[in-house]
Amino acid sequence: MLDHIAKRLKDKAKWVREYEVIETEDGDMEMEGAVMPRYICASEYERAMRLKEQLLREYQDKSLEEVVPGETISNDRGACYYIQHKHDVSIQKADLEKSRQVICSNLKLIYGIGEVRERELKQQGYNTIYDLMRHPRWRDEAGKFLEAFESRDTRTLQDLLWRWFPRSDPLLLYLAGIHDKNDFIIFDIETMGLFGRPIILLGIARQKKERINTHQYLLRDIPDEPGALWEFISHLEENTALITFNGRSFDIPYVEERLGFYGLNASIERPHFDVLHFARRAFRGRVPDCRLVTLERYLFGIERKDDVPSTLVPEFYETYLKTRNPGLLIPIIEHNRQDLITLSRLFSRLYDVLEDA
Amino acid sequence: MLNRFFQNIKRQEWYKQQIEHIEEIPAREPRYGKLDKPLPNILQNYLDREGIKLYSHQADAINSIRRGKNVIITTPTASGKTIAFNIPVFEALLKDNDATALYIYPTKALTNDQLHVLRTMERRMGIRPISNVYDGDTPQRARQRIRRTSRIILSNPYGLHQYLPWHHKWKSFFQHLKFIIIDEAHMYRGVFGSNVAMLVRRILRICEYYGSNPQFILSSATIANPEEHSRKLTGRDFEVISNDGSIRERKFFVFWNPPFVDSVKMVRRSPHQETKNLFVFHIKNGLQTICFTVSRQMAELITRWSRDELGNVRDRITTYRAGYLPEERREIERRLRTRELLGVVSTNALELGIDIGSLDAVIISGYPGTIISTWQQAGRAGRGYRDSLVTLIAFENPLDQYFMKHPDEFFGRPHEYAIIDLENPYIVMGHLMCASAELPVKEDDKKYFNLFEESVMALERQNMVRKTPNGWVYSGIARPVDIVNLNNISDKIVTIISDGKVLETMDLPKAYDEAHRGAVLLHQGETYLVEDLDLENLTARAVRRDISYYTEPRKTVDIRIINTEVHQKKRKGIDIEVGEVEVTEWYHSYVLRTCDRVIGKQSLDLPPLNFQTVGVWFTIPGDIEEKVRERGLDLEGGIHAIEHAMIAMTPLYAMCDRWDVGGISSPMHVDTQRPTIFIYDSYEGGVGISERIYDLFESLLRVTLRLIQDCGCDEGCPSCIYSPKCGNENRPLSKEAAIFILREIIDKIKLD
Repeated sequence: MLDHIAKRLKDKAKWVREYEVIETEDGDMEMEGAVMPRYICASEYERAMRLKEQLLREYQDKSLEEVVPGETISNDRGACYYIQHKHDVSIQKADLEKSRQVICSNLKLIYGIGEVRERELKQQGYNTIYDLMRHPRWRDEAGKFLEAFESRDTRTLQDLLWRWFPRSDPLLLYLAGIHDKNDFIIFDIETMGLFGRPIILLGIARQKKERINTHQYLLRDIPDEPGALWEFISHLEENTALITFNGRSFDIPYVEERLGFYGLNASIERPHFDVLHFARRAFRGRVPDCRLVTLERYLFGIERKDDVPSTLVPEFYETYLKTRNPGLLIPIIEHNRQDLITLSRLFSRLYDVLEDA
Repeated sequence: MLNRFFQNIKRQEWYKQQIEHIEEIPAREPRYGKLDKPLPNILQNYLDREGIKLYSHQADAINSIRRGKNVIITTPTASGKTIAFNIPVFEALLKDNDATALYIYPTKALTNDQLHVLRTMERRMGIRPISNVYDGDTPQRARQRIRRTSRIILSNPYGLHQYLPWHHKWKSFFQHLKFIIIDEAHMYRGVFGSNVAMLVRRILRICEYYGSNPQFILSSATIANPEEHSRKLTGRDFEVISNDGSIRERKFFVFWNPPFVDSVKMVRRSPHQETKNLFVFHIKNGLQTICFTVSRQMAELITRWSRDELGNVRDRITTYRAGYLPEERREIERRLRTRELLGVVSTNALELGIDIGSLDAVIISGYPGTIISTWQQAGRAGRGYRDSLVTLIAFENPLDQYFMKHPDEFFGRPHEYAIIDLENPYIVMGHLMCASAELPVKEDDKKYFNLFEESVMALERQNMVRKTPNGWVYSGIARPVDIVNLNNISDKIVTIISDGKVLETMDLPKAYDEAHRGAVLLHQGETYLVEDLDLENLTARAVRRDISYYTEPRKTVDIRIINTEVHQKKRKGIDIEVGEVEVTEWYHSYVLRTCDRVIGKQSLDLPPLNFQTVGVWFTIPGDIEEKVRERGLDLEGGIHAIEHAMIAMTPLYAMCDRWDVGGISSPMHVDTQRPTIFIYDSYEGGVGISERIYDLFESLLRVTLRLIQDCGCDEGCPSCIYSPKCGNENRPLSKEAAIFILREIIDKIKLD
């Protein structure tokens, strides 16, 4: 009786799954601006299902270590599986002087100065916020702003910028210039779905010398989740700035929810560059949609092979839990790693686009 | 004033002795109470300025709440329950600057209404607003501010169900949660109530995690078991405040039975026609009236018909029901308070505490199914110190007719029990699964959930939760709050589209009833014809058409026994059992009706609806069957008649509406191999109604026999054995066989 009810709940879970398979030609989908598509086209779905079958055959009875080189690591909160790679990619961004030049010549960032007043001030020879330090009325406000700038207080500066400019404004991208390259943590998670379920893989990429390293923390099973979350937390430092793709609506609140779930006392509030907003503005009209895979195809000519679409990650992982066949993890891990690399390239490319403009 | 009205009514040519009974409910002087200790100045000044002198029940409630007790207030509509809990809540919140309170209402409309009440109170006390609504209509950008800064948050169970997984964002609110106020607590009964009881436990579990232990204040319509109900709903002990001290004016309660239209007294005039006539008469005589109907369809129709007879005041009446936009509803409420509107025809949507002021008269078109609802609706009448009028118009069905013949049964009858089932495994397991996505589930959580271990194990076996060192963690692939529905376990939602726009949405069974191909759908006084119901995409297409008829589906039902493990008892050869059954409903046709007759019938081609539920059934022993045949009586007609009459009387014994149970009788059921009568819960998984019938089986049989044998008809009539929802058009039916079989069974049980 009780098993019957539990089974029914499980069946219902399939019924309310968050995507639907629709019959359409590949690439023929109306998905302008879609990031988390609720639909997956039939051909993509079938391809993924074929891949799943193939992996199940190929990696039967293999161990995780054999299939995915890495190691089990542990911390105060638990253990998880750690995978590390080096990549010949480097983060490009504005340097500090460039940032200063671009940002500080925008007088509108001073509270109380609008279009008209800025024009007047510039006619009077006040070209930068530094110049305003000589202005009797705006001296105080300018001082506060510059203090934040000099102390590299990105959070305060972001708040000031958001007051006037949309989140996609290039000025916000120039803020990245006040950070060192190794302050950045590029960050992307794979999950069992849209909130309320475990995160199964936390991936980050960090600059080290002239390359980036990826660090991926995988759950061998659900009990590994607190351990993996804690590994991610341990990367966060005081000067850290996060780079994500749609992290503002997804990755960040998701991690916060899971920290809350386990009662892990940690804050991940850091300055945050959500590349989705910038990419939408920079590439709108030039790409069919703003999914990361679409952007990388158009911008970098990357065609992913044997990829698992994001929407099917939960199903692959669920099958892994059931069969313990580590082969199913391969495309999830590779998908995540490719997302991290593309994200770092995209972030750099956005800066190039700015410079060219 | 009402005397003249009654004289006047009796002079009308359409008056044909419809008044079966007038009950005079005398006026009562107010009783006032005293607080144990004085209120802070700000609150006492507020009461003084508003001219509020606390009635005894209000003072009792405030005293108990201030002593830290959980309290349920069960005094009638308009007795001032709201002030009784707002005063101590504000006192506590003004004293402790961090303290917060959660107000839970069953509908968004009520939430908005009560926000208005709280805001007015804050303004008049001269404090900064601290209350806010947080529900599906709250704009995204306002949400964080409300969570972080509001001291009083008003919401509804459906919303809370969705927000609980995000509790970390509510941390400070939950940490300081001092009160949970559950208004209209009688609404949380049956399936919905059992779900809300589990939701409350999920809230308490999160409060415990953040270190708070809120005090409960419940308010409810009068029910038979306030103490038990509040305990089941929340898991805490309560003090019951039920001694109403408020002033009451004289009230006349009229029982109105539509007259016979033929000389053999078989068929009564349409109760809808009577409702319309009486409503129009009220309006023309200057009585501001609210007319309650049993369906949305009928609320719309009565307004339409009445307007045709109201000439220049036709626009001073309107319909009110769920599904209208909030602004539209608020406008109607305002126009009622200012008497711009002379009348409103409403579903039970206006039964709850929405502030529309009090009206001169109430018409209740058809017994609403419970004594509770009837008195809630009746409570809408009564303005100032004037007499007020309530009229209950009987339908042709057995239950309404029973009250018409036995008014003392109505006025002497206790209010119903509110049923909450804390051991319904469908409901418990669903919420346990939700809880496992909110915080890891631990051993200790068995204090919140019955059937704890077996449910967790079953979920684990299906990989829906996983055991970890931190507890059981949800690991399914859909959000559990999307899997579990609070008020309707079957949850396919059909969207009705007209002219490219969404007209409304309804669940699948309702769509089978109201939105099948050919159905006439009423919306805001307009008629729409449904052209197509697409079950694959769960949409229906409707077109705007002026149509003078309305439609009613016809269906047949099959039932199979799945298991009988629940209960079984045998009395001298009468087998009564409770168990799991599977019900299959076949919608085969629908009829077209005008307000008083059937004008056509069309066939339908829809796949059957299946669901599993709990049923109670009993078989007719061989010797009784033998006697029935010997006397040449119709066995099949007899058991069919008993089934109808029993279902009609069921609302008297279980907290349900007659539409909450179904029945089937078969002269030779495939599973029992005997003539069998089934009654089952109309909800997937069961709600406990069948078990209740099982417990009270003998009383139900007796009252059923009385209903049938006391009825003045010869061969059965709508007052006894005809059912308004029979799928077989009330054929075959035999009153004589029914009486004979019932007497035989009761004799057998007596001998036991």
